[in-house]
Amino acid sequence: MATLNLTLKVWRQENAQAQGRIETYQAKNIPDEASFLEMLDIVNEELVHEGKEPIHFDHDCREGICGMCSLTINGVPHGGKKVTTCQLHMRQFKDGDTIWIEPFRAKAFPLLRDLIVDRSALDKIIAAGGFVDIRTGAAPNANNMPVRKKTADAAFDAAACIGCGACVASCKNSSAMLFTSAKAAHLNLLPQGYPEKNKRVLAMVRQMDALGFGNCTNQYECEAACPKGVSVDNIAKLNRDYMIACASEAVGVFS
Amino acid sequence: MNDIITTACKFVTSSIGRKILVALTGACLLLFLVGHLAGNMTIYGGCAECGGKSWIDYYAMGLHSMPAWLLWAIRLGLAAVFVIHVLLALVLKYENYNARTHYQKEGTLKATLSSRTMVITGVMILAFLLLHLWQLTLNGDPANCYEHVVRGFQNPVCSAAYIIAICCLFMHVRHGVQSVMQTLGLGTRKVRPLYNIVAVLFALVVCAGFISIPVAVLTGLLH
Amino acid sequence: MKDIKFPVSDYMPDSCIPDGPIEQKWTKYKREAKLINPNNRRKYTVLIVGSGLAGGSAAATLAELGYNVKCFCYQDSPRRAHSIAAQGGINAAHNYQNDGDSVYRLFYDTVKGGDFRAREANVYRLAEVSCDIINQCVAQGVPFGREYGGLLDNRSFGGAQLKRTFYSRGQTGQQLLLGCYQAMEKEIGKGHIEMHPRTEMMDLVVVDGHAKGIVVRDLVTGEIKSYAGDTVLLATGGYGRVFFLSTNAMGCNVGAACACWKKGAYFANPCFTQIHPTCIPVKGDYQSKLTLMSESLRNDGRIWVPKSKETAEKIRKGEMKASDVPESERDYYLERKYPSFGNLAPRDISSRAAKEACDDGRGVATTGRGVFLDFKDSIARMGKEWIDGQYGNLFEMYEEITDVDPHKEPMMIYPASHYTMGGLWVDYNLMSSIPGLHVLGEANFSDHGANRLGASALMQGLSDGYFVISSTLPTYLTTQKPGSVTTAAPEFKEAEEAVKARIKKMMDVKGTKTPDEIHRELGKLIWEDVGMGRTKESLMDAIEKLPAIRDEFWNNVKIVGSTEGINMELEKAWRVAAFLDFAPLLCYDALAREESCGAHFRLEHQLADGEAKRDDEHFAYVACWEYKGTDQLPVLHKEPLTFDNVHLAIRSYK
Repeated sequence: MATLNLTLKVWRQENAQAQGRIETYQAKNIPDEASFLEMLDIVNEELVHEGKEPIHFDHDCREGICGMCSLTINGVPHGGKKVTTCQLHMRQFKDGDTIWIEPFRAKAFPLLRDLIVDRSALDKIIAAGGFVDIRTGAAPNANNMPVRKKTADAAFDAAACIGCGACVASCKNSSAMLFTSAKAAHLNLLPQGYPEKNKRVLAMVRQMDALGFGNCTNQYECEAACPKGVSVDNIAKLNRDYMIACASEAVGVFS
Repeated sequence: MNDIITTACKFVTSSIGRKILVALTGACLLLFLVGHLAGNMTIYGGCAECGGKSWIDYYAMGLHSMPAWLLWAIRLGLAAVFVIHVLLALVLKYENYNARTHYQKEGTLKATLSSRTMVITGVMILAFLLLHLWQLTLNGDPANCYEHVVRGFQNPVCSAAYIIAICCLFMHVRHGVQSVMQTLGLGTRKVRPLYNIVAVLFALVVCAGFISIPVAVLTGLLH
Repeated sequence: MKDIKFPVSDYMPDSCIPDGPIEQKWTKYKREAKLINPNNRRKYTVLIVGSGLAGGSAAATLAELGYNVKCFCYQDSPRRAHSIAAQGGINAAHNYQNDGDSVYRLFYDTVKGGDFRAREANVYRLAEVSCDIINQCVAQGVPFGREYGGLLDNRSFGGAQLKRTFYSRGQTGQQLLLGCYQAMEKEIGKGHIEMHPRTEMMDLVVVDGHAKGIVVRDLVTGEIKSYAGDTVLLATGGYGRVFFLSTNAMGCNVGAACACWKKGAYFANPCFTQIHPTCIPVKGDYQSKLTLMSESLRNDGRIWVPKSKETAEKIRKGEMKASDVPESERDYYLERKYPSFGNLAPRDISSRAAKEACDDGRGVATTGRGVFLDFKDSIARMGKEWIDGQYGNLFEMYEEITDVDPHKEPMMIYPASHYTMGGLWVDYNLMSSIPGLHVLGEANFSDHGANRLGASALMQGLSDGYFVISSTLPTYLTTQKPGSVTTAAPEFKEAEEAVKARIKKMMDVKGTKTPDEIHRELGKLIWEDVGMGRTKESLMDAIEKLPAIRDEFWNNVKIVGSTEGINMELEKAWRVAAFLDFAPLLCYDALAREESCGAHFRLEHQLADGEAKRDDEHFAYVACWEYKGTDQLPVLHKEPLTFDNVHLAIRSYK
């Protein structure tokens, strides 16, 4: 097992109102088998022993599924290795590297402290229409409605989104199109979600706009930064579905 | 009727709606580019010095001899398309700028240079276009189009500006073509690489065509 | 070594099990249950702590029914609860495979899998509603794995001889939780649920003997606040992080459950902690958690260690590759010991077998604590593509973490703390011994006995939340006048002050050890002494050493920062303090249960072949512990377990 000595350039900001700044820390003797967050744990432990405030960051499951960890590493959310920050391992770095660590940045993600941001805007998009409006107990037998395997697989690929917000943070426009389109595609593709397709698309897109996200300019930076490989095909589908939904709302075609 | 107006209003104020409008107007402008290029290529036809006129002179005169209403309809239509394209793109850009907070250390994984410079190249093209209109449409003489063009490009500054502008156009179109397809909902993992190739080829052919004229003038091929 | 004599009480609250034959109990209950008029439901405020499968599904369902729901979670969004990390699947008795499944069989397998320490009536109800859960989730748009014909696919799981597990690749928990989260967001959007993310429950407020509110800390502002309601639903998961290293999320903690225990709720069977057999082995001291590799991998992976210690030694030193070990030198120990279940033996058995192999010096991994999980044969038989279709994301995850490609070299795995069957005691209504406090999901004790079968946790969480609580809650609520208690009651002020005082006390220590360092110390002790194999000596050792760690915390912990704003050190410290209060209880229960059953293995009590020796005559009961004070022994109440529908047998998977 090799160890690394690294220079960290970390964004520190006491709270939402405070002035933020980059501070420099030395991370010494970091095992290359450690995860990125474990590296921060080691640095934090030292900071605490020195009586300093540790670097605050969001994290929970540490197995790449809860979507709570964030961090923009060297300008790229999650470090750009197609995994979440908690699954990024230090063997990806070289001894002597300088690593820039910043929060996920977007106006729609207000900063709370250091590297912690508020991503509740994503929840609000879901609340607008990212669901199937059924009530518990009213469901028919699960096998009553066959679903083509291909459709089910495509729906699953879209549903793999963990809601981490890396798409927004990586986007040069802070657009939430990948997140929104993935959820819309997941539900629109399945027969269970089809009845509400138009309503859902309009509600989610309008909510997304209202929350102050930017507009997609088809750079696909989101897809490249997504730790779950969610495809921008979903964005094309949302564009398509949105046109249909507008046509339906305006003149009643395709309704 | 109310539904239509309400939805239309929501459409043109929504992010996707405005992008679709930018894409549609962009697609129109791409078509215009093809037409314009075809027209420009007539400069290579005919023989100016042997007493006869170049084909481009006939082409220019032909355009001007159209009924005024048709000419103005086309001009206004084009202007409208252009204005919508530019205005909406600028509004979107303004929103995008406001939606963002900036990193101390910026990084990029996939976004191409052309995609990141759409507004810069777009503004450059706009500036060029105004100049272009001033030089050729307002101050030109359709009967002596060939002469006017050749004389203009014999000025190296003028040629250089033109070539730079067309390079901007290349960048703009290179991202624009595939972006139009994606925004209109026609992008999938399978066809996206194809769109990219088509975009590059299209931009290459169109821009090479335009640039060939000052190059031909400067090298003395056209004089 | 002196014996500990636990005070035993004869009193036991009624478990409220409806009478009649087992297959009619739930139907009968629902037929006779009290109802609340839809217009009156909104007058009742339901406080739900936790937004995982149990809490989230309860919140969505109760909000749909019209109750006024307030939900709290410590994460930044309800979608991040740790249910999301469940990989393998969810059981249901649909019998879509036509392989002979039925409600009874699922019931039987679960009771047997739990080594006959679960409550029959609860388990039967669980099996009964299992099919409704699948129907519900499919209708919500959960993308379960399907066959080419378009119908749902199933896989088999540990402890069952048929295919009844529904799955979404290796992300079943995620997809089920998203279904439930979306249902919640739907109700949040409609204004029926008031969601409080980044909010941690600090204490339970009991007014006149009834749970009527909670004290919380807003993790963003640091403010201590109270919420009053007509009932409190606790769905805060398990206490697996008492071992420090576990497959649980970093934030999972026993704080809320421990607070309820201290306020009078009985804690049942805390010693039943499941050690999951297939986790990635420990690498070093800096490690923060262990990563689970889904049990479903055991469908197609074969578990082995080298037959000789010498070969194992060479592998440990990196002188030999696992793929170079010839077949004749491999010991597929699960297939050898348990021919009929083979690699799909239940979790407790697989875990112990791995430990035995490693204790025998034949373990692999640099630490010697690891065994192989090999896909060589399955890849040869089914092809790489098929394997990737089944387990692609798990293989990727493994490679990301270990830098080893499991297509080429076998995975290395070792058991790790994963799930806790024990939890707050509840009756058939899911109500604890404090009236008004309901406990759902992993936080309660009721359905898994001494060992949980794979793919049953998701089933239980959703069963409690979607189908059980909605029917049982009115039983309590109809006895209450809605809105009768507000935060103006003096109990709220008192509880808030107590919380503030406790925080101040720990902040004021200003010692030298970080909360994590103390937590690690605690975890190490509990893992060594109360882990997979327990003895009276080891338990006494833990009981003797625990007070010192606790004292260390209260005299030497170092919490930097302030109580205002986000302070993750304070959050950690608060949770560690609760684990320290709770840990002795785990040891007491393990000590008092002088038998081996399921995940609780006392080395003194084993059969000649090393299998668990259960003592039904003396220990067929639920051990319910009542808190009596930090330095007092808890009082043991016993709920006898009767088995009228399954035959009490030695659990054999041979």
